[in-house]
Amino acid sequence: MRFSETVRLPAGRLWDWLPLAIIIVLALAGIIVAVIITPSFLTVDNIRAILRNASIVGIVAVAMTPMTLSGNFVSLAIGQSAMLAMVCFVALVGDGWPQPLAIIVVVAGLIVVGVMQGVIVATGLNPIITTLAAGAIIFGVVTEITGAGIVRTGDYLIGWGSSTVVGIPIQVLIFLIFTVVVSILMSRTVLGRETALVGANRATARISGISFTRVTILAFAIFSVGLAIAGILNGAAFNQATSRSFPNLTIDAIAALLVGGTAIQGGHGSPLRSAGGALFIAVISSMMVLNDFSTGGRLAVQGGVVVAVVVLLHELRRRREVR
Amino acid sequence: MFAHTLDKLRPYALPLVVLLITWGIIAGITPSFRGVGSIFAVLEGFPLVGLAALGLAVTIIAGELDLSVGSMAALAAVVAVLTSPTGLVPCILIATLVGVVFGAVQGTLIGYLRINSLVFTIGTLILLRGLTYIASDNAPIIIQNITITDPLLDRYVVFSISSITAATVFILAGLFLTYTRWGREIYAIGGARNEAIAAGVPRIRPLTVSFAISAGCASLAGALAATRGGSAAPQNYADLLLSGAAAALLGGISLYGGRGTVINVALGVAVLTVVATGLAARGSTAYLVQLVTGALLLTMIAIEFLAGRLTIRDTILGAGLRGRSRGPEDVDSRREG
Repeated sequence: MRFSETVRLPAGRLWDWLPLAIIIVLALAGIIVAVIITPSFLTVDNIRAILRNASIVGIVAVAMTPMTLSGNFVSLAIGQSAMLAMVCFVALVGDGWPQPLAIIVVVAGLIVVGVMQGVIVATGLNPIITTLAAGAIIFGVVTEITGAGIVRTGDYLIGWGSSTVVGIPIQVLIFLIFTVVVSILMSRTVLGRETALVGANRATARISGISFTRVTILAFAIFSVGLAIAGILNGAAFNQATSRSFPNLTIDAIAALLVGGTAIQGGHGSPLRSAGGALFIAVISSMMVLNDFSTGGRLAVQGGVVVAVVVLLHELRRRREVR
Repeated sequence: MFAHTLDKLRPYALPLVVLLITWGIIAGITPSFRGVGSIFAVLEGFPLVGLAALGLAVTIIAGELDLSVGSMAALAAVVAVLTSPTGLVPCILIATLVGVVFGAVQGTLIGYLRINSLVFTIGTLILLRGLTYIASDNAPIIIQNITITDPLLDRYVVFSISSITAATVFILAGLFLTYTRWGREIYAIGGARNEAIAAGVPRIRPLTVSFAISAGCASLAGALAATRGGSAAPQNYADLLLSGAAAALLGGISLYGGRGTVINVALGVAVLTVVATGLAARGSTAYLVQLVTGALLLTMIAIEFLAGRLTIRDTILGAGLRGRSRGPEDVDSRREG
């Protein structure tokens, strides 16, 4: 037990699961309160809506977790990158490309954009500032090319974005599969262990022969896949896109990741927690919508929850380390 | 003595050269961007972007980063419009005071909890935005008695009341940071936190002060812009973080903390404003300006990185928390860079 104080791996210790347990208890308490004060909360339609809302944010938060785990904080270009994927996908399909080909091109393109940022960050530049700049550049380029207009699929309507499989929306299924895949990648593979080690203690990781550059670039690549999926899913659901799509995704995904309990300094956390964070935020949002909260009220509560959870988890973690 | 003075001016050489070159190019290709009018236009960049950059720069010098400046400016703008019946000066002061108090509390909490300022300010970024929507009742609001804002529209050669206010704040901030104990403490904890604390610098006070300055500057920026325009919308100023950070870093504020002065910030703001107003004068759209801002920001951090021949792989915020001891050779090479 004592030896693991310096190198904290994502799974295994009871203490590591305490923050997640707290989140689950809070979420359950929230659901119980919601059910009592809001009769329409526990209907099939509402639960489906909550899951659907949580899915896009969840996919992105899960995809960003390896990046945060590796000590590269968070991206401030989330909304813009997902928007890039959505606009490209819609434009390609509208241009008559077969959908599978369009999907491959969009995913590959997003990986290129993400890896470029990853390479810059891996050389030692600040990830927050790098992604802030990258987001502005992506937004500027896409708006310039689309002329700030709406891109449509036109004659080539994409049907499957709003479809359901045995009653479950397609987004929810993909969210589930994606979370499982990234979780296994992070907890059961060498790459996942290396990612957590680099985030927990970069100097030790370097001495152990783990390449920070490789881990960072791979984390950005995984993140880009998630962004591409989010963009494609929304493109397939709406059949149109603008450079102002995903206005709140950056904040929502970061909030989900932080509420899930992944430490922003790296080393602590798991994709599963980020998925839990996304669900938790979707549940409280739904509660507030059903109880007629205004936009401001919802944002204020969301911000308050983020601050409270982050401070709580930080204190728990600090107590444990002092012990 | 002369060599010493020259040495002191060295950190401003690169941004000054960049400023002269960009100003030359923009004035060369844009006939409408010449003479007194262009100086006025550049100075007008200071009340909004300049003040935001100044506040951000103080937190960067302290080795932290305040991501909540955009939301803070939006909230202050709404507060200023709501309190405008009290008069022009009182409403701006009230809005600024709200920011200073909020920032002081935020900084104290960050110092007391020893929490990463990024995580904390992302939370308050959302929270403040929500409060802004609540305060404005989810819609843009306007100043009822619009005549009270008339003095802001007057022009004195190249100055306006707004830019004089901003310039005063820059000078006061510069004097504060350089010549007072509290100001120097900010440099100390930003440059080498553990060493500074071991040497007796308090851990919390410099953070309280720097976040109070940051939120106060952002609030003043929002309040000035709102009273001048006569209205405030709850969704405004989301891009202020980008332009503020870009200006601070363009001017040569080091992302690694503990380095840079208000003169750096002023130069950076001037460069950014020359580019933005120059592009606007040529009929470019707001998103093109954003694109160029992003590209400049990326170029600037790359230059800072390469010029420093860094051996430190730690980024500012990680280093801020993990302790940042730096070898003497690093300090020397960075000072020259």
